Amino acid sequence: MPQVKIPPPYRGPTQGEGRVRVEGANVGECLGALIERYPGLGDLLWGPDHSVHRFVTLFVNGEEIDRTALHTPVSEGDEVEILSAVAGG
Amino acid sequence: MIEGGRAMSGPTGDRMIRVDMTNQSASIEPYPDEWKLLGGRALSARILLGECDPECDPLGPDNVLIMAPGVMSGTAAPTSGRISIGGKSPLTGGIKEANAGGNPGQDLMKLGFRVIVVKGKPSDPNKRYGVEVSEDSVKVVAADDYKAQWNYALIENLSEKYAKTASFISIGPAGEMQLTGASVACTDSAAERRPARHAARGGLGAVMGSKGLKYVAIDPGKARARQPADRKEFAALNKKYTKDYLDGPQMFKTGTSSVVPIANMLFTFPYKNRVEGQSPDAGTLDGKNIVESFESRGGEMHNCMTGCIVKCSNVVHDAEGNYKTSALEFETLTLLGSNCGIASWEDVADLDRLCDELGLDTIETGAAIAIYMDSGAMEFGDAEGAKRILKEIADGTELGRAVGNGAVAIGKKTKHHRVPTVKGQAIPAWDPRPLKATGITYVTSAMGADHTAGLIVNPGMPEKDWVLASQESQMVNAICDSSGFCQFLQPTPDDIRRYYGLLYGEEVSREQIYDQGWQCLSDEWEFNRRAGFTEKDDVMPDCMAKDAIGPANLVWDVSNELPQQAYKRPIARDEFFVVKATG
Repeated sequence: MPQVKIPPPYRGPTQGEGRVRVEGANVGECLGALIERYPGLGDLLWGPDHSVHRFVTLFVNGEEIDRTALHTPVSEGDEVEILSAVAGG
Repeated sequence: MIEGGRAMSGPTGDRMIRVDMTNQSASIEPYPDEWKLLGGRALSARILLGECDPECDPLGPDNVLIMAPGVMSGTAAPTSGRISIGGKSPLTGGIKEANAGGNPGQDLMKLGFRVIVVKGKPSDPNKRYGVEVSEDSVKVVAADDYKAQWNYALIENLSEKYAKTASFISIGPAGEMQLTGASVACTDSAAERRPARHAARGGLGAVMGSKGLKYVAIDPGKARARQPADRKEFAALNKKYTKDYLDGPQMFKTGTSSVVPIANMLFTFPYKNRVEGQSPDAGTLDGKNIVESFESRGGEMHNCMTGCIVKCSNVVHDAEGNYKTSALEFETLTLLGSNCGIASWEDVADLDRLCDELGLDTIETGAAIAIYMDSGAMEFGDAEGAKRILKEIADGTELGRAVGNGAVAIGKKTKHHRVPTVKGQAIPAWDPRPLKATGITYVTSAMGADHTAGLIVNPGMPEKDWVLASQESQMVNAICDSSGFCQFLQPTPDDIRRYYGLLYGEEVSREQIYDQGWQCLSDEWEFNRRAGFTEKDDVMPDCMAKDAIGPANLVWDVSNELPQQAYKRPIARDEFFVVKATG
C-alpha cells in the first residue's frame, strides 16, 4: 500500500499520526481513503469546489506534483507527502 | 569623533561599538575572539547578563540597549542579514530580544562591527541624538531637529543628510514617549529605504527613546560582503542551498498573510479578543487578496534585505496605486484585523502603516485595541475608531498612551478581565489552546508570549511530546536568531553549523551548536531569575483556561507543573539537528 505523510499542522484529525498507509492507485484515491479514515482532514485538504486547497503542496516520492494532478499513479511503497505552509509572523 | 581601525572584509579583526548616552560619547573596541560564534540573540543575552543589572529600571540609565547582527550577516549567504535588538524589556520586566530584517545588520557587519552597546541616559530628556557609523568613525550627533518625527518622514529627511548607501535604525514618536509597546524600525532594501522592518516586541523602542537615541545611521560606503575563510566551499554551499530552496515548494512566496485560511481552520485565527478561534472574516483578510491586488494597484513580493531568496514581504498599495505599507503580515492581519473584528485587509493596511509610522508593535497594539473594544468602550469592527486611537497615541492622550503601553496597560485602564498576555506581553495569533506545545513555549520562554521563540503547529501532538518539542523549537530558534538567518528560510542547526564552519575555516560540531542554543536560553532564564521572575510567572492568563474555542471546546488545561520540565536540559537527539527554524 502507498503511504501518506501528514504534515504536523494536519495531525489534529489523525491524533498525532504522521504516516498512514492507505489503499489507492493514484494520489486522489489515496487522499480520498485518508479522508474516509480521518474525516476531519477533508476541510484541511479540499476547497469548496473539491479541489486541493491552494496552500497545500503535494509530493510523490519527493517530487512535487501539481495539486490538480490527482490522477498521478502510485503503487506499493510509494509515498505521497502533503505539505502546507503554516508559520508566519 | 572616535576614530577606529579600518574594517576588515572578513570575520577576523572584528570590532564592537560602545555608546554612552550620558555624555554622548562613542568608542570602538576589538571584538573578543571567544565571542566569534556569538551573534544576534545569543550575543545580546551574553552581554546583558554580564553588563546589565537585571533589577534596573528598564527606562533608566542602567539598562543596556544592544544592536547585534547575526553571525552570518554581511556575508553572501542567502537571507542572512537579520539584526537583534536587545535589552531589559519595559513591557515584561525581563530580558528581551526582538529581531528584524532590512539592511542595517548587513551594513554593520560589512564594516566589521559585531554589536553596538548603548548605555546611560542624557540628563535632559528633551534632547534627541543620532549615532553615525561609518568605516572609520562612530560619533554621537545632535538630532533635535528630528524630534517627534514619524518614521517615514524621519527616514526621508535622514536620506537627504546621509549617503545613498546608508541604512537606518530608528524610533517613532511612541519610542520617544517611552511607551512600552514601542518598536525599533530598520530600513529595508528598497531604494526608498522604508522603515518597514521592525524589531517590534517587548517595547525596546521605549528603551531606545529613554536614551534619547532617535536613530542610528550606518554607512557601509564601499565595504564589500564579509569574506569567508573557505571561499570556494562557501560559494558552493551558497549555490546548492539557494538552488535547493528555489527548486522546493517556497512555502512563503506569497507571504505569511497567505496562512490566514489554514490558521482559521486550525482555530488559531483569534476573533474579538480571542473569544473565538475562528473568524467569519478569514476570506476578506486572506493574504491572497493582497497578492491579487498587485495586478490592478501595483505592489509586489520583495526581499526586505539584500540577498534574500525567500521574498515573503508584500509591498501593499492603496486603491490609487500608491505605496501604503510593507509587509502586511499574518500576525498583523490577525491582531489588528480579526481580533478587533475588523474585516478589511485595507483597513488593516492603514493600521499597519500607522503602527510603522509611530513605531509600535502591531501584535501588542492590536491586542490592546481588542481589549479596549471588548471592555465595551468601542464596538468591535470599528476600523476608523481604531485608526483614531493610533493617532491619539501620537497626540499623547491618556487613551493613546494606555493603548501604546500595550495589553496589560489598557486592561488596567478599562478594568477589563480578559487580558490575554504571558509575562505582560500579548499572546500572538498562534493560540495555545489548540497548540499546547506552543503554549509551553509561551509560558517558559524568557520573552513571554512570543511565537518566534518556538512555534509548534501540531494540534495532534500527544501530551508526552509537548515539552521536548517546545525545548527543541526554542533552541533551534535561538540558534537561528543568533545566526542572522531568517526563520522563513527555515535553516536547521546542521545548516547553520556548516555555514559557521566555512566562515571560520574550522569544524563546528553538533555539540557546539547544541550548547549554543541551550546556553542562550539559559542566559536569558538566568537574567529573568535575577530580575525576580519565578515559576509563578510561567502561567497562562485565566481567560485561556475559561474561554473555550471551537467545537472541541479547546482551553488551556495544562498543569502549571508540566512546563517546568522545560528548564531541564534535554539529551541531544540526532533529529534535533534537522529541525527547521520556524517563526
